[in-house]
Amino acid sequence: MLAEIINSNFNRYASGAEKDLFFETRKQAFEAFETMGFPTQKNEEWKYTNIKGVTAGSFEMSDERPAHAKTIFEKSVLNEIKANQLIFVNGIFYPDLSILLEKDKSIVLTNLANARTEYSELFNRHFSKYAKTEEHSLNALNTALLNDGAFIYVPEGVKPEYPVIINHYIDSTHINVLVQPRNLMVIDKGAEITLIETYESIGFNASYTNVVSEIYVAENAHLEHYKVQQQAGESYHTNFTQMFQESNTSINQVTLTLDGKLVRNNLHFYMNGKNCNSLLYGLYIIEKQNTVDNHTRVDHAQPNCFSDEKYKGILKDQSTAIFNGKIIVHLDAQKTNAYQRNQNVLLSDEAVVNTKPQLEIFADDVKCTHGATIGQLDEEPMFYLRSRGIPENEARKMLLNAFADEIAERIKIPELVELLEKKIEEKL
Amino acid sequence: MPEPESDIIDQVVSQDYKYGFSTNIEMEMASIGLSEETVRYISKKKNEPDWMLEWRLKAYKHWLKLDEPKWQNFEYPKINYQEIYFYAAPKEKIKLDSLDQVDPELLKTFEKLGISLLEQKRLTGVAVDAVFDSVSIATTFKDQLREKGVIFCSISEALKEHPELVKKYIGSVVPQTDNYFAALNSAVFSDGSFVYIPKGVRCPMELSTYFRINAEKTGQFERTLIIADEGSYVSYLEGCTAPMRDENQLHAAVVELVAHEKAEIKYSTVQNWYPGDKEGKGGIFNFVTKRGLCEGAFAKISWTQVETGSAITWKYPSCILKGDHSVGEFFSVAVTNNCQVADTGTKMIHLGKNTKSRIVSKGISAGKSHNTYRGLVKVNKKAIGARNHTQCDSMLIGDRSGAHTFPYIEIGNKSAQVEHEASTSKIGEDQIFYCNQRGIGTEAAIGLIVNGFCREVLNQLPMEFAVEAQKLLAVSLEGSVG
Repeated sequence: MLAEIINSNFNRYASGAEKDLFFETRKQAFEAFETMGFPTQKNEEWKYTNIKGVTAGSFEMSDERPAHAKTIFEKSVLNEIKANQLIFVNGIFYPDLSILLEKDKSIVLTNLANARTEYSELFNRHFSKYAKTEEHSLNALNTALLNDGAFIYVPEGVKPEYPVIINHYIDSTHINVLVQPRNLMVIDKGAEITLIETYESIGFNASYTNVVSEIYVAENAHLEHYKVQQQAGESYHTNFTQMFQESNTSINQVTLTLDGKLVRNNLHFYMNGKNCNSLLYGLYIIEKQNTVDNHTRVDHAQPNCFSDEKYKGILKDQSTAIFNGKIIVHLDAQKTNAYQRNQNVLLSDEAVVNTKPQLEIFADDVKCTHGATIGQLDEEPMFYLRSRGIPENEARKMLLNAFADEIAERIKIPELVELLEKKIEEKL
Repeated sequence: MPEPESDIIDQVVSQDYKYGFSTNIEMEMASIGLSEETVRYISKKKNEPDWMLEWRLKAYKHWLKLDEPKWQNFEYPKINYQEIYFYAAPKEKIKLDSLDQVDPELLKTFEKLGISLLEQKRLTGVAVDAVFDSVSIATTFKDQLREKGVIFCSISEALKEHPELVKKYIGSVVPQTDNYFAALNSAVFSDGSFVYIPKGVRCPMELSTYFRINAEKTGQFERTLIIADEGSYVSYLEGCTAPMRDENQLHAAVVELVAHEKAEIKYSTVQNWYPGDKEGKGGIFNFVTKRGLCEGAFAKISWTQVETGSAITWKYPSCILKGDHSVGEFFSVAVTNNCQVADTGTKMIHLGKNTKSRIVSKGISAGKSHNTYRGLVKVNKKAIGARNHTQCDSMLIGDRSGAHTFPYIEIGNKSAQVEHEASTSKIGEDQIFYCNQRGIGTEAAIGLIVNGFCREVLNQLPMEFAVEAQKLLAVSLEGSVG
């Protein structure tokens, strides 16, 4: 049982040897997790997602440094992108494999454990300040047992030349592995950066990855953020990303879920200042008996902000997709414009979609819309293509590509688009 | 000069409830509070058969096991069920042949409400089963209906005259164990309407019941059961007004509809119970369970509701589309003002093949009120070719009001086609400006806009009711909304 494994791991931290300044934070979070426990389907937020596969499973935290990490990285498609690369295997940082191209040394690209001592002031100011542990037990779990993760700081007005890729490899070659990566990114005033978070699996045993990423975007800064999930096989992945925006900031976020037994994404935006601009796009392609659950929440806490959200899904076999988008317009957050859309194409009779686009509005001068559609591919364009001699399979592929294109065109890195296209090709 | 908007909003917010009055008629009441004894008392009082008492007791026992639901998007003071009178009937037992025999006090009440039976009889051709508190006291147009074989009477009467029908259908759509308030209703329901339309009959007139809550501290537990047999059609109207009251009153009704093959039921509601005062004190709690079952193929059930009253409106008229090719519809206007709360919507459960459903919901919130649309569209794995379109729009008047949408969409097969659209916006300033420009005052302009906003739903109401609905919309938002 996972609960026992968690207890014993926590006790390891508690038993002196690894006890450090950070222990108090761990302890509080652990206590919060103990009270809440793992989410069950009785919890409205987890109504459609059963994580029995995780809780009943047996996973181990691993300190082992796999020797083959290098070869894995070299094989990765994202390796081809000219970018700063931070490499983590099972939550452990590999500085020797990491690539730092930036000449401007004021940009901090390191791991969290290092940042805790070397950049303690920044770390203390931002760590665990945005992702709430009170309501989300898995956040608490991550905070209590976190391994390591990326720490990125972009100083005021700095615009790095290359994107930063945070590569998390989950290696379950020998054992069922439990990994809890934790990333913290601080984008200071007027800075601009492109970040890519990727999660890839190695090995055929089961794995449970529980990620928390906190991203603070200061005034006038701009962030391009991509999340790519391609953990195959028996991979369970829960992810909580909290964006915290000050005024006049803009964020373009794209989430691509391309594989995984069970993927649960929590993507939360909190607009703490005026004139924010947030774009959330997502694409999921699911097959077999896999489940993808996207929960997004946009908190319009200040006036004059804009958000646009679009999530699209293609479902094969006996797969299940869940979407819950929340737009919350707080009292006095006037002149808010918020849009949200979820579209699903079902390719199989056994696929299931549960969607819940949700609006909670407490201000009057707003324009908010949301929508959801679920269906098969349109018959008319299909007929058009077939009547011009294109075989059915080919036509379907074209139409699905067109469907996915709306999200793909939001991606500004050509290699990433290529990867996506390759994946679509493979799956369909 | 058009009035500044803030004045209009003030006016809206300060509108008083116009239909507040209380009639002094002697009441016969069950002792206060709820126990097995109360259930037995009610059943005995109504001379019910034993199976009915057993049925009630089963519901009561189940109710004891349940907790009040907590998932709703609002809070309400805890209801003390031991401080409610669960049964109240006018003391004079009246057997009616004509309206002359009705207590003149009652007739006056109806007249004040503008639903005078005399008037109705002469002009509208609507048969009215008037429920004054709990016991039906007058039924009109019975002869005409009897000719066609339509049964339209109170549940108590139906229990006496058509027990086999009641026994067969009661609880078949909303079982005693369905939810907290349905269980409560099943245990203590006092009266309500019963309609049975025989095979192939098109009901010659629109059937209507006016509910009134009258006695102090009387929880109102109505039970309505409508059965449309194969190929029949019926349109049923339900409307409510209630007098000024200081304490919260609970209303937990249950409505069950059964439509057999090729039958159609159209159920319309105009609800304008006492919403409480400006500070949100008092007002009715309207916690209702309404559900229709399209039992046979090609059956159709259509719900139309105009909700303007009640401190809290909490209901989800639903359709279970069991028969192949059956159709469910839901049209709703919910207006909230001051401190009112509405948490309403629908459930469309697609079970049969090629079933269709349509949802149109319009919410208007003003003052400090909150308006929530909560809906479920569920397409079962075997419901091949299911189709749904949902549209829910919200309009906000005043910066302290709230509008919320919680649509649940659960799709279990690929042939389903489901669309959901929702929008929320402030009342259009450019539209008001356009009207102002052409010499239409702001007040009238807002009226026009809101009327247009709701038209799609109001159009669904039968003629007789559309007038009433417009009047009630006017009362709720008068000063800014025509």
